[in-house]
Amino acid sequence: MPREIALADALVPGLLLVFGACLLLLWLVDTLVGRFGLYRFVWHPPLFRLALFVCMFGAAGLWLFH
Amino acid sequence: MSAATQATPASAPRWPWLAAFMAEERVAWIFVAKTVLAMYITCWLAMLFQLEQPATAMITVSIVMHPQSGMVLAKSFYRALGTLAGSLFGLTLMSLFPQQRELFLLSLSLWVALCAGGATLYRNFAAYGFVLAGYTAAIVTLPAVSNPLAVFDSAVMRVSEVLLGIIVSGVVSDVVLPERLRLLLRRSAREYFAHFIDFARGSTGGSIPRREMEQAHMRFVRAAVQLEDLRASVIFEDPEARARSSRMRLLNQRYMAASTSFQSVHHLINRLQRSDHDKVAAALIALYAPIGEALSPEPAMQQDPASLAPRLLACEEVLPPLAANLRANLPQATWLEFDTGANLLRRFASEMRDFTSLEASLRAGNLSGSVETVHFRRGNDYLGAGVSVLRTFLTMSALSVFWLMSGWPFGSSAMLLATIFSGLFGASAHPMTGIVNTLIGYVAGMVAGYVVTFWLLPGGDGFTMLIIATLPFLLIGPYLTTRNALPGVGAGYTLGYVYILALKNPMVYDPTHFLNDAIAQVVGLGLTAVAFVFVPAVTGSGWQRRRQLVQLRRQVVQAATAPLEGLLYRFESVNRDIFQQVVAYTRQDSDESRSLLAWALSVHECGRAVIELRRDMAHVNFPAAVGTVVSGAVQAIARLYQQPGAEAWRQADAAVDRAIAVTSQHLEHARGSCQSALAHLHLLRSALRDDESAMAPYIQSSAEPNHAS
Repeated sequence: MPREIALADALVPGLLLVFGACLLLLWLVDTLVGRFGLYRFVWHPPLFRLALFVCMFGAAGLWLFH
Repeated sequence: MSAATQATPASAPRWPWLAAFMAEERVAWIFVAKTVLAMYITCWLAMLFQLEQPATAMITVSIVMHPQSGMVLAKSFYRALGTLAGSLFGLTLMSLFPQQRELFLLSLSLWVALCAGGATLYRNFAAYGFVLAGYTAAIVTLPAVSNPLAVFDSAVMRVSEVLLGIIVSGVVSDVVLPERLRLLLRRSAREYFAHFIDFARGSTGGSIPRREMEQAHMRFVRAAVQLEDLRASVIFEDPEARARSSRMRLLNQRYMAASTSFQSVHHLINRLQRSDHDKVAAALIALYAPIGEALSPEPAMQQDPASLAPRLLACEEVLPPLAANLRANLPQATWLEFDTGANLLRRFASEMRDFTSLEASLRAGNLSGSVETVHFRRGNDYLGAGVSVLRTFLTMSALSVFWLMSGWPFGSSAMLLATIFSGLFGASAHPMTGIVNTLIGYVAGMVAGYVVTFWLLPGGDGFTMLIIATLPFLLIGPYLTTRNALPGVGAGYTLGYVYILALKNPMVYDPTHFLNDAIAQVVGLGLTAVAFVFVPAVTGSGWQRRRQLVQLRRQVVQAATAPLEGLLYRFESVNRDIFQQVVAYTRQDSDESRSLLAWALSVHECGRAVIELRRDMAHVNFPAAVGTVVSGAVQAIARLYQQPGAEAWRQADAAVDRAIAVTSQHLEHARGSCQSALAHLHLLRSALRDDESAMAPYIQSSAEPNHAS
């Protein structure tokens, strides 16, 4: 994946798009998990979500740009 | 003696006020700590990423932070949307008018004004998104106004700074010692549920004094609006709440429908008792008894929806045979009245069953299947929004003209501040107090900023020293926002302090620039106050309240004319929203408040009856001949609420009477469809002739109730 992408002729870092995609993914996961109430089994749900997001973003970033 | 007096306080905590004070201080200081933490993380990251103005990111944090994390996330979401929209517009504007500053400033003023007007049309933080859209267009373009080529970089910088501030404050408030809004929502939802069930159970005696009914109505309305407001913020905080969101909406609509039916039943019984139809009233109270019984299981289960729902279901089976029994014992002339009441009671019972079973499934966490999507509609005053647009436009164009004519180098600072504050205070009810408080806080913040920038900061080196130098004065602002005594001072202080400090890497030592900028900012803030003198705030003013009362009455016109699809939900929610807006600014027990309540109850009852009547008319077997007469009656009632008066009342009353006569003639060969229409018509007539309602001044003394059934 290219490091920079031209969106309407403006160069945008590729990571920004990955960031947006990960937010969308987190939203999907949230919808599913919230639907079945699975966050009740987690001690600190916001912290868990944050960690989950960091994992997703880190993994996607490393995989796409390594 | 002295031993006894000494022994008693020893068993209790020595200073009970101290414990309460400490608990309150603890909450306040947690908030202060979170705000300060978020601010310094933002500042550090902004310097690390080499953003131009870390101060913008810090200001974002100070504006977005709120003790409850759901509020922060909701506010952040709308702020992000507003920022993106505003910067896109700013870029477009700059590329359209790079050379024509008059046109540029005119369009910018217009855009900011329209955004300020849009903000008054929304409750919650969506309003805030509008303010931000206006304000960001200004902060993106104004610093680059003399160098149009730099506008793209400026836009990218501002958007990055704002988004950085949003992300950091969202993460900090959600992860570090979060204060959950969800708990508040759950607590108030259970409280309102219990109150409603208790009230419905406690009124099995039948008659409720009008005063108590009015109090209950206010409470029901406040509950419905508040639950919707909370829901709209909680969905940002909690994924589980988001999964329940559509059910919570539906629950609220069912709550509103049930409370309207409940009120109609009691108005009807009250009227029957007043007009010497005690037998019918007694029969209806007897018919209400099974519902009251269904609502009273053993005391421990009385507010538990899971045990109430099956009982209400069983009660629905009991009602029709009991109604037939009671009806047989009444004289035939009163059957119509009894049927009206029995019809309402059946509706109330089934709505209560729907309401409690949905509440039960929500509490059990049973979310399988999809539910009907409903929306809570708001009632808006577009002319009020127009006034806000006008005021902001005048402020902005006055400042632009002054800036252009004088060539003032710091004009853009003044314009920026004016933009922020005319948007933020546009929808407020007491903008003058708010602005004066904010101005005091702002000036205090700038004085503190002066001390820090020119006495403390030059002595230190590095980020740690920066924190040590700026922290003591920074703490004051967030702490003041947790005190309710001086609204606005804390926010003004933080804003003034952070803005004028203009932390950046490396810092600049320039007292002249500092003083010029400070003067410009105070001028911008002061001019906003002046604008509110020329074009006063409309929110909560007598003028807007009168307009909203008219709008409330028009709800019946809507009920009579708008397409039926989704009409009931819209009617119920808009009604409550308007009522809640007016009642918030009405003094209790004044003549105005009494008249407002009377109209609200009357609109509620008649509007609902009109909608039900129109549903009956949509029935396939409804005879066409009856249809025209009944629509005539519906139109006459719409005219009465459009323009209340004795003549309109007489016409409406006559039209409803005629419709009742024609419908009862057709009752023989179309019983299925006409029966319930007849009951609704009768309910309308009795509501029109209620001499304790808002109709009282228009009722003519000659109109003696003659029962034409």
